[in-house]
Amino acid sequence: MTASRIDIFTVRFPDPSSPSFNDDQRWITLPTNVSFRYPITDNIQTLSSKNAGYDASGILYVPELRSDECKKSEEAYVPANATRSRNLPSSNPGIPLIALAPWFSPTCMKEYLESVRKDSVRVLFVFQPGTDRAMPPPMADASWGLGDGGAWKSANDFPTYAINAASGSVILAQMTLYSGNLSEVPHGKDLSSALDSTDYVRLWARVETDAVNRLPSLWVFLIIVLAILMTIIAATSLTMHCVQRRRREELRRRVINGEINLEAVGVKRLTVPREFLEKLPSYTYSAPAHDSENTMPQLPPSVLLASSTGPDSQPTAGARPWMRSSSAPSLSRADGQSPAFSQPSCPICLDDFESNETQVRELPCRHIFHPDCIDPYLLNNSSLCPICKESVMPSGYCPTRITNVMVRRERMLRRAGNRRPSGPASSLGPLSSPIHLGLLGSRIGGVISGRRVFSAPDHRRARSDEEMAISNAAPLSTDAAPGTATSSGATPLSARSDPGCGEIDHEERRERARERALTLLGNRHVPSGDEDEEASGPWWRRGLRKVFPGFR
Amino acid sequence: MSTGAKKRILREYAECQNDPLPGVKINFDEQNMTKWEILMDGPDQSVYAGGHYKLEINFPNEYPFKPPVVSFKTKIYHPNVSNDDKGSMCLGLLRPEEWKPPNKVISVLHLIRNLLIEPNPDDAIELSIANDYKTNRAEFDKTAKDWVKRYAK
Ligand SMILES: [Zn+2]
Ligand SMILES: [Zn+2]
Repeated sequence: MTASRIDIFTVRFPDPSSPSFNDDQRWITLPTNVSFRYPITDNIQTLSSKNAGYDASGILYVPELRSDECKKSEEAYVPANATRSRNLPSSNPGIPLIALAPWFSPTCMKEYLESVRKDSVRVLFVFQPGTDRAMPPPMADASWGLGDGGAWKSANDFPTYAINAASGSVILAQMTLYSGNLSEVPHGKDLSSALDSTDYVRLWARVETDAVNRLPSLWVFLIIVLAILMTIIAATSLTMHCVQRRRREELRRRVINGEINLEAVGVKRLTVPREFLEKLPSYTYSAPAHDSENTMPQLPPSVLLASSTGPDSQPTAGARPWMRSSSAPSLSRADGQSPAFSQPSCPICLDDFESNETQVRELPCRHIFHPDCIDPYLLNNSSLCPICKESVMPSGYCPTRITNVMVRRERMLRRAGNRRPSGPASSLGPLSSPIHLGLLGSRIGGVISGRRVFSAPDHRRARSDEEMAISNAAPLSTDAAPGTATSSGATPLSARSDPGCGEIDHEERRERARERALTLLGNRHVPSGDEDEEASGPWWRRGLRKVFPGFR
Repeated sequence: MSTGAKKRILREYAECQNDPLPGVKINFDEQNMTKWEILMDGPDQSVYAGGHYKLEINFPNEYPFKPPVVSFKTKIYHPNVSNDDKGSMCLGLLRPEEWKPPNKVISVLHLIRNLLIEPNPDDAIELSIANDYKTNRAEFDKTAKDWVKRYAK
């Protein structure tokens, strides 16, 4: 808080003790042409800003000194007729005062201070007489020291401003003219006709602190800061929207090109539209030919698929298991007959198919089910075959709006896949074949150790034997024949490469835990999970996600 | 839960009864058939011999599309069983992403029994126990047997 401007001008006011005294007539500024007016707009040094929070004004006077030595020294700086307390109304409790004192010696300055504290002035002006610098020295300057370490400033309950010596002496010189009776002041004759003769005419000072000026500038500052912030937020938001939009388009492009199946990689649960489901072949089951029954009678479909459709496990298919290679069905047909017919029972309800009686639904992967068993699942839960996890939908089918959540999840899964494999191969991306096979390799390793576990049970009875074959072979086959678009492509990347239920890094673990929780909860709760997620969470989170689409 | 799923669970229960696993008893409640209580004896050839373990198999609403959830109610020192009040197992075909509808409870029971005989430390849920199992087998056996005495009698 510093003084930005001091104005000295001439006012007249009635003697408070006179009968004509009334409030309306107090403090009238005299016209410029007949009075003294002196603005100080710069070169004001704020020595103490104590209680300087408001604009102060008052009658200028020179405070009284106590000691004779000081009074003597003062004569050199203060003209004899300068306004003193005695030149002001004696009963003056309501008269505001501003003191002006020459700073010529520390001792005398202390006496001035004592005096002004008693007078309870509003402001103290000081100047260093005999100096010719335009700007008084700053507060820290030694010339303002009174040997008390600056304590005098805090002992005052008013602000102190220093003006330069030139201004000080000009004001003092004018003061001598405005200390006496009305008739003695310049133009007194002209004025006395209009004024009461008991009126006082004195110099008046008004200090403008930039507290008032700073207030708007503070607001301006705040507004500027706010505006900058808003601009940054808007720019960030815009950038994120653009980036996110590009990512969405990119993902959509990959989906449409058949490079990625959203559900197969675990990004988005899809369901099969009814009209599409109704186009899937449904026919009456007929028992398979005898030879096939002899060779592999009761094996479950997945085993048959794994062993009989060898071409499927070629690296090309293995590398892109999420892609429904259009040649797969014809390949499986190539070995003479449809492998679908080697499935003697419905894998969902475990009931046997009755030859020439049971109506079955065949999925593009050639797996067959009771329509009653598979249709609700495809309509409500998933678009993947529950046995081999191959998509029922044609490759490139892009069912829904690609959402930011889907983009995020897909990127995360890709990153997780990228992080896992070691070696230079990782730069090729998680979906490229070397890594894929690498992952499968480790998976197979795990499975082999698991195989001992599965092969342990001894099959005692013939009946249980076949049951066992089905129950045990199924999990084995899915893993042991990884190229069949079975295990690997089907499971989400992160899940697939996860060795146990632990040892995953935190973020991934959270995502996986959620994924798993969703899985355990059941799909019915998340028929279109991503949109739900987009609109979930507390309001601020939803809002943030709207503004910054990449935000989780 | 659909009637089809209920039918399948009933069918699987019947199969388990027709072909009981040695040392495995199933408490089946018609009213609440999605929760099976299993009493499994520690296999004789395992360190858990002499122990009696209570397990729970919970069938999710989506069964058989989703795997049943297995949890040990009796505390057991085993690398594949979580050492907490859940006693959950999470490996092999019990993983949602590896479960296939043709899999059956009986194969789950086989899996559990075989894991008691031969734990799978490479797919462990309790890494410290797995480490114990792999590097300090004697210590593992001792602790496991100790836990049998303490918790599974
Ligand atoms: Zn069925
Ligand atoms: Zn299939």
